[in-house]
Amino acid sequence: MQPKTFALIMTAFILISVINLIRRQKMTFKYALAWLTSCTLVIILTIQDSWIGSLAEWAGFALTSNFIFFLLLIFVIFFSLLLTIHINEQNSRTESLAQALAKLDHRLKKLEKEGSCRGH
Amino acid sequence: MEPKILIIVPAFNESGSIARLIKEIRTSLPQADLVIINDGSRDLTEEEATKAGALVATLPFNLGIGGSVQTGYQIAFEQNYDVAVQIDGDGQHDPAYAAELIQPVLEGRLDLCIGSRFMDGPSSENFRSTPLRRFGIRFFCRLLGVLTGLQLTDPTSGFRAASKALIKHFAHYYPVDFPEPETIKIAQRHSALVGEIPVRMRERQGGRSSIRYFTTLYYMAKVTLAILIDMLKKNP
Repeated sequence: MQPKTFALIMTAFILISVINLIRRQKMTFKYALAWLTSCTLVIILTIQDSWIGSLAEWAGFALTSNFIFFLLLIFVIFFSLLLTIHINEQNSRTESLAQALAKLDHRLKKLEKEGSCRGH
Repeated sequence: MEPKILIIVPAFNESGSIARLIKEIRTSLPQADLVIINDGSRDLTEEEATKAGALVATLPFNLGIGGSVQTGYQIAFEQNYDVAVQIDGDGQHDPAYAAELIQPVLEGRLDLCIGSRFMDGPSSENFRSTPLRRFGIRFFCRLLGVLTGLQLTDPTSGFRAASKALIKHFAHYYPVDFPEPETIKIAQRHSALVGEIPVRMRERQGGRSSIRYFTTLYYMAKVTLAILIDMLKKNP
């Protein structure tokens, strides 16, 4: 099989999987956007492979394959950073929810205590 | 009008010591309100504290010292308290010193008054600490001294009283883990007056310390970085 065809099949498979995950509401569009954009870019650059060659040359890479690996690494690092930010946001929100629950718990107990004091 | 004082006691699995501590706090500061922040304890901390007559705010899971103390500050802020006092739930902090701790804050001389174990010289005879931890404490004294100009002796002490102005800032943001030295830097950034009074601390009466020997180095690295990053922060 031609490497170009193999790359197209694999990218199409990832793209279809991501679209399917959005359709089944297992992934929101917000978080799928990076995957959709990357897959589309890979498909365009696979079809127009002269573009990636020119880009590699412009960036100073002797081998186009090295440039592709470099792009892949950058994508993974960038995506990890996005996920770290997302985890931190979720962590802060969970912490705020837990604190809100504890404050409600405290307020409720305080009101109950005041109520029972008045009752006596 | 009498100032409103809230004692914040973060407690994680402290069922063995919490009732005694509550009794001591009631004796030392009868005019103050008390809230036990039950930090997702898996033992009978909540039941023991309630039985001892304290109001308990229970977190659904363990947030760590920063998250639980911040919950206390949020309660103090929302319920308009003038002074908040932190006392650890493990019984290390002697509530007998709480009145002395809040005095400079009530008089407006300090915004953050820290109870120091080392102000009257080396560690008191009934308080033991590892050499590495003592090195860590000295390291933070120097670091905060250089960065803030404050000459402190015990920046890692969690026995402290905060003014109304600081309650607001701590309710809004409080470091997650190992918060004590970083909160001093935060207080200084908000132009708060920070100082110490001498106190004696006791051996833990129950529970387990959140800073164990092997985590001390991580603690030092993390807190140093956090303090340095705080230098880059601007007040809103």
